[in-house]
Amino acid sequence: MNKIILIIQREFLTRVRKKTFIIGTILFPLLYLGLIFGTGYIADKTREDIHVALIDRSGLFTEKLITNANGHDTANTLTLITTEKDKVIAGFDSLGYDGYVEIPESFNWRTGVDSNNLSVNTKKNYGIGALVPIEKKLNKIWAEIKKDSLGIDSVKQSIINSVLSIKVNNEKDKNADAGIASLIGYVSGFLMYLILLLYGSQVMMGVTEEKTSRIAEVVVSSVKPFQLMIGKIIGIGMVALTQFLIWIACIFLIYNVGKATGMGGDGSSMVGQIQNVFTSVNIPLVVGCFIFYMLSGFFFYASLYAAIGSAINEDMREAQSLSFPITMLVIFSIFIMMTAVKDPNSSIAVWASIIPFSSPIVMMSRIPFGVPNTVPLWQLGLSMALLIAGFMFTTWFAARIYRTGILMYGKKPSWKEMIKWAFRK
Amino acid sequence: MNILEINNLKKYFATQKAVDGISMNIEQGSIFGLLGPNGAGKTTLIRMITGIFYPDSGEILLNGKKFKTEHDAKYIGYMPEERGLYKKMKIGEQALYLARLKGMSKGHAQEKIKEWFKRLEMENWWNKKVEDLSKGMGQKLQFVITVLHEPSLIILDEPFSGLDPVNANLIKDEIYRLAQNGTTIIFSTHRMEQVEEICNHIVLVNKGKKILDGTVEEVKQDFKENLFGIQLETIPEAINSSAFNVTAINNKKIIVKINEGYKPNDVLGHFINNGSHVVSFQEMLPSLNDIFIKLVEGTPAARQFEKVSD
Repeated sequence: MNKIILIIQREFLTRVRKKTFIIGTILFPLLYLGLIFGTGYIADKTREDIHVALIDRSGLFTEKLITNANGHDTANTLTLITTEKDKVIAGFDSLGYDGYVEIPESFNWRTGVDSNNLSVNTKKNYGIGALVPIEKKLNKIWAEIKKDSLGIDSVKQSIINSVLSIKVNNEKDKNADAGIASLIGYVSGFLMYLILLLYGSQVMMGVTEEKTSRIAEVVVSSVKPFQLMIGKIIGIGMVALTQFLIWIACIFLIYNVGKATGMGGDGSSMVGQIQNVFTSVNIPLVVGCFIFYMLSGFFFYASLYAAIGSAINEDMREAQSLSFPITMLVIFSIFIMMTAVKDPNSSIAVWASIIPFSSPIVMMSRIPFGVPNTVPLWQLGLSMALLIAGFMFTTWFAARIYRTGILMYGKKPSWKEMIKWAFRK
Repeated sequence: MNILEINNLKKYFATQKAVDGISMNIEQGSIFGLLGPNGAGKTTLIRMITGIFYPDSGEILLNGKKFKTEHDAKYIGYMPEERGLYKKMKIGEQALYLARLKGMSKGHAQEKIKEWFKRLEMENWWNKKVEDLSKGMGQKLQFVITVLHEPSLIILDEPFSGLDPVNANLIKDEIYRLAQNGTTIIFSTHRMEQVEEICNHIVLVNKGKKILDGTVEEVKQDFKENLFGIQLETIPEAINSSAFNVTAINNKKIIVKINEGYKPNDVLGHFINNGSHVVSFQEMLPSLNDIFIKLVEGTPAARQFEKVSD
């Protein structure tokens, strides 16, 4: 037992002290957020301002309406002119227009409005991103013109604007919010998927490294192969847990700092949203279950990855072909998870959240919808019990492959051979 | 007293009888040579002694008691032929980790590592990584790690490969020193000149079976062919005697094989009576190398796959 702790310690410390762990834990989420917000910001900043001349022959578009619309949306500018279009074409550069729109004289209520005839005539090609806003702006002005001619005042307008919307109201759980629950379910399921695959393959590479650098033979003359394997799995599992806890702590920190500094106003809708999350979802339950499913699911998959790691040699392609079936299980679970967040009570979601190989991902996507309302306690209990039984089985199975594989050099075995190793006396 | 007793040990793999009924005893404090061609089953035998493999049948007794890995790992130091260390781990930490896995306390291990590093002039290695070491340096480190926890049985698989003569001598001296202090050392090698120099007792294994067991002296006596070398001032033109046959003449040395029923004195007598001046006369014992080749000759260079019926 003491020796397992030593092994866990080594596995944990060598990984946590590495630069890549710090980068992965702190920099990666920042980078990720930066990427999402940064690209949006950059796209916004670098968008081209288009100046479009509006040649109105119908007399419906007034200077006032256009100025008003320009004030609301500065992405492009419309200017009402009376110049002939030939002159505009000839003088694109000197007049400073990027294009023009001509509203024909026939544009009136009696002859019918044929909007298909309208076009933006430009001096060069523009993408949809630039042209759609122009169409939008013109329609906005058009809507004003329509209201004017129909005599719709603000009261009538509000009557037109009113819509019916349906919200789900769970009588047993007043705070439930399906939208937030699916979001959390989705994020949890995805995070679980990432952790299982990333840390699972770390176990696999760690085992292969020990095998190919031949340290395994030195170590297994001091400890049992099982101890070496389980020590590595637990050690790396602890790394995953540490990383997860740091993230959770960061979210709480940001949330509390946000609340304390009174950013709850218009400045941070983020904080407001997180507040919503806290009231509508049982966060301690979700985090607790996440830790359980993360560790159990990790043990389930990591031991299989360890078995593969022990069977292969230096060639990483061998790893790919052997780990393919395992990776497929994880990816399959992700697809079920995607349907589960839409309909957490569908029978595929229920069963996939109980069967061990898919339960870590699928159950985590259902739990935010509420326990015991959406996920009855018997399902949660059965799922947990089966997962524990599942990882005990895979660990046993993997250990038997591992002890043979770790000292076996030469040809890569097939899954069939590995299963034979496992069930040999 | 025997530190290790092995009785009828067997280990069969799917395609090979790797170890097929080997028995042997190793005396405490001896330097024991385990010899054999490639694929003879040496490594498998060692892996069973170190507890890495379980034997199919037979028993291993350490200090008279049945060997159990969990309990007995600390008494054994094993340096495998393929050296293995964590490449990215600092050397000091690595030595400490491996020593603690053998059951040493942290403080004791640290003390021992410092002592060994000092003795083998490795003091400034502590914070280096294994990947920074040359092959020979890595070898030295591996040796230190093997003996660090003061095992009573040390198993060295080809300990000198990759070492320059200076470092090889350094390690050799350490081996002698350990043996003098009562440590038993098992050497696995196919470098016969080293065995002849270092080992007291040897066992030769081939095709999973023991084919030779004895002290170096005994083995040589057993395999001697009654050859004697005589150096004369001038070599007579014709040598004719019923006591011996000449097998070779080079320079001024004659190598003779004494016939059944005759003694070395008869050879000397022959030349003295001849009036030749004898410069030297000695028995020519076979080298271990010769014995080795003679015994395993005919074995294919690489062991063939065979069917294991049971």
